[in-house]
Amino acid sequence: MKTLYAFTKKEIIDQLRSNKVLVLGIIFIIFGIMNPAIAKLTPWLFEKMSDSLAESGIQVSKITVDALMSWEQFFKNIPMGLIAFVLLESSIFTREYQSGTLVLSLTKGLKRHNVVIAKTVVLILLWTVCFWMCYGITYIYNDYYWDNSIARHLLFASFCWWFFGIWVISIMVLSSTLAQNGSGVLLGTGGVVFAIYLISMIPKVDKYLETMLTTGYKLTTGASKVSDYNVAVIVTLIVSVIFFATGIVAFNKKRL
Amino acid sequence: MEVLSIENLHKRFGDKEVLKGVTLKVPEHSIFGFIGKNGAGKTTTMKHILGLIKGDEGEIKVCDEKVVYGQTKTNRYIGYLPDVPEFYSFMNAREYLNFCGEITGLDKSTVRERSDELLCAVGLDKEKHRIKGYSRGMKQRLGIAQALLGEPKLLICDEPTSALDPVGRKEILDILLSVKDRTTVLFSTHILADVERICTDIAFLDGGSIKLSGKLDAIKGKYRSDEYIIEAENDEAIKVLLEEFEGLKRADNMSGKVLTFKEADVSLYKVLGYISEKKLPVIKVERLEPSLENLFLEVVG
Amino acid sequence: MDKIREYLPFIIPLAIVEIILLAVTLHHIFTHENYKRGNRLLWVIVAIVGMEFIGPILYFVLGKEDE
Repeated sequence: MKTLYAFTKKEIIDQLRSNKVLVLGIIFIIFGIMNPAIAKLTPWLFEKMSDSLAESGIQVSKITVDALMSWEQFFKNIPMGLIAFVLLESSIFTREYQSGTLVLSLTKGLKRHNVVIAKTVVLILLWTVCFWMCYGITYIYNDYYWDNSIARHLLFASFCWWFFGIWVISIMVLSSTLAQNGSGVLLGTGGVVFAIYLISMIPKVDKYLETMLTTGYKLTTGASKVSDYNVAVIVTLIVSVIFFATGIVAFNKKRL
Repeated sequence: MEVLSIENLHKRFGDKEVLKGVTLKVPEHSIFGFIGKNGAGKTTTMKHILGLIKGDEGEIKVCDEKVVYGQTKTNRYIGYLPDVPEFYSFMNAREYLNFCGEITGLDKSTVRERSDELLCAVGLDKEKHRIKGYSRGMKQRLGIAQALLGEPKLLICDEPTSALDPVGRKEILDILLSVKDRTTVLFSTHILADVERICTDIAFLDGGSIKLSGKLDAIKGKYRSDEYIIEAENDEAIKVLLEEFEGLKRADNMSGKVLTFKEADVSLYKVLGYISEKKLPVIKVERLEPSLENLFLEVVG
Repeated sequence: MDKIREYLPFIIPLAIVEIILLAVTLHHIFTHENYKRGNRLLWVIVAIVGMEFIGPILYFVLGKEDE
């Protein structure tokens, strides 16, 4: 336990000193502000465009902005945040393989599974902080300008998206224990997510898959029910746990 | 007592057999020079001792405990310095030692005490910068400090001096010599001058097996011949000596003013007596010591 | 003018974090000699052109050397 704590602490210091926390934090803050800003700008943009649209015969009715539009932006932009997160953290394991820094720690008796656990904890922690910070900022703006209460099941919808991120992290961890470099991790993570996305195109299969969790926006508008997500949440939980566990097993066997 | 014993260790990478039955014993409180050419299998052998590579055959024991592949418990007896040690460059030396102490499970006050002492011993006590800017020599010195932090019974250094300049080499050798009372040192090298400077025991590794091992003195004694050389100032003296004694031979030497002979053929004291009687101008008379280099070449071929 | 005042709650914090992000990125670029790929000029241009956040991400993912 003490060694796990020590390694986690080292990992956090690394994240802080290499500016990763700062850069990711700022990116998610920017998204948090941009979501309501874009919603607020929409009528003005439409006004600008309506003249040219009118010429081509399209009538634009006056639109009123509400919190839902801002939350729509939130669910549209958060994938970009996740992509930035994966890009910046893809080498969290592999740069230690390449530099050989792990060898010294492991020969000192550090248990291999502690390496995987510590890095996973840090990834989950960072994702959680970034995600909910972005959520919080958008929430505060929305509350100030409009009314958040019209967005139904907002917290659950956001939880689903956050949980999707945890699943992506579990893929990152597993591919990190198998790949030798950061590009391998990116390829593995991107590949799995894309494959699941393709499979989810098949009707009726989609609600059993992890990608279902990214459609939380439908919940806020009332287009879907909470119970629609039960299976996907359970599947994601099981798959993530399996990926983390497999990652530990694979890492124990890895030649460093 | 042996700190480390390796019995008939075999390792094959693909179709290349790197280790073909290495057998080695390292006695306590020795400074053990593990000598071999580049690619002889020194690093591979050391990684086996640390449980980083799985051997195909054979047994390794550290302090009478068997080494197993993966997370071996025997590593608690070992301090390890890899050939190119890499540390977390975002930390400074003290933070790194702290981190090492924490993952080894030492308590805070012990770590502080030992890191003070060790940083002083390796000359990094005044260094406040992050490891990022360290030179190779500084990294090697920090490497020794971290390896000694857990007060290991066996300190394993992989080519600690190979990448360093003469000053850096001397610093490392002095540090290794100074820790001799506290621990046993096993270090691999291909620099024979370093071995002659500090080692008490040696082993030659070549072609995947140990060709020669034992106490340095004993090995030197065993290979010591009864051969002498005489170097004279001029050719006259050489000619006089050659006429007087039959067993003398000219050595293959550029100057041609060097003679060699064996004690068995010619008595040293007779030669010396003759030299003093005739007042021949000689520069030196010397018993030939087997240099490690000659030994190495002879053994390794 | 009123329009701008209406957007100030967005513009001010955005400007602040954007400037911090750009400053951190540029500081990192100028205090490092070596990059994983590319050179200093390239990364300065990338960071400024894509300053809203793409540029800094590109630099920290592709340009920053592994320490």
